[in-house]
Amino acid sequence: MPRRILIIDDEDDIREVAALSLETVAGWDVTMAGSGAAGIVKALEQQPDAILLDVMMPVMDGPTTFRELHALPETTNIPVILLTAKVQAADQKRFSDLGVAAVMFKPFDPLTLAGEIAHALGWTDD
Amino acid sequence: MSDPAAIIAARLAELWRTSRPSILERIAALHAAHDALVRDPADTEARSKGREAAHKLSGVLGVFGMPQGSELSFNMESLLMNGNPLSFEDVIWLGEQIEALDAVIAAKG
Repeated sequence: MPRRILIIDDEDDIREVAALSLETVAGWDVTMAGSGAAGIVKALEQQPDAILLDVMMPVMDGPTTFRELHALPETTNIPVILLTAKVQAADQKRFSDLGVAAVMFKPFDPLTLAGEIAHALGWTDD
Repeated sequence: MSDPAAIIAARLAELWRTSRPSILERIAALHAAHDALVRDPADTEARSKGREAAHKLSGVLGVFGMPQGSELSFNMESLLMNGNPLSFEDVIWLGEQIEALDAVIAAKG
C-alpha cells in the first residue's frame, strides 16, 4: 500500500512540483492543501502517513499549523516535515526546536525529494 | 515514457509555463521595493515586501532548474531581513542583484 502524504503550501507551483516528484519517483499518494486551516481539515479526514508543511504562509503559518496539528489527538502522531526556503542558522534552530520530524529546504531536487523524506522518517522500505 | 527523470522534466517544462507569470509578478515586486528604497532606504514596508518576494523566489527558482536565481534571491533576502539600516551601497547592490535575476529569468525563457 503506497504511503499517503499531505502537502500543505500556499504556493501552487511548489505544491504541484512536490506532488509530481513524490508520485512519480516514489509512487506515493499525494493530497494537497493551500493553507494551514485547509491542511488541518485534510489531515483529520485522511490521516496521512506524513505531512510536508510550508513555513511561510499567510494567516496561519507553518509553525502555527504544526502546533495545532500537534495539539489534536487525531493528528498528534503524524510526522511533520517543515519545508522552507533556505534560512539563517537561527531560524533553522527555531524550527528544529518545534519538535517536527525534520526540516527540509527549498529549492528541492524533484528527483531526490522522496528519498530525502523517506530517509528523514526512517522509511527504509521506500 | 516511463523514466521518472524524463516524466518530471516534461512536467516541469509545462509547470514553468504556468508558473512564469506569478514568478514575474514577484520579480516586479522586488523592482518596486527597490525603487521605493532608492527614494527612502528606511522604508520598512518596501523592505518587508522585498524580503517576502525574495524569500518566495529563493524557494521556487531552483526547483525549476535556476539555482543561481535561488542564490541571488537568498542573498537579497538576507540583506533585507537583517536589522541594519540600508546604506546607499546596499541599495545599489540590491539593484544589481535584481538585474542579475532578470537575466537568469530571461535566459530560462
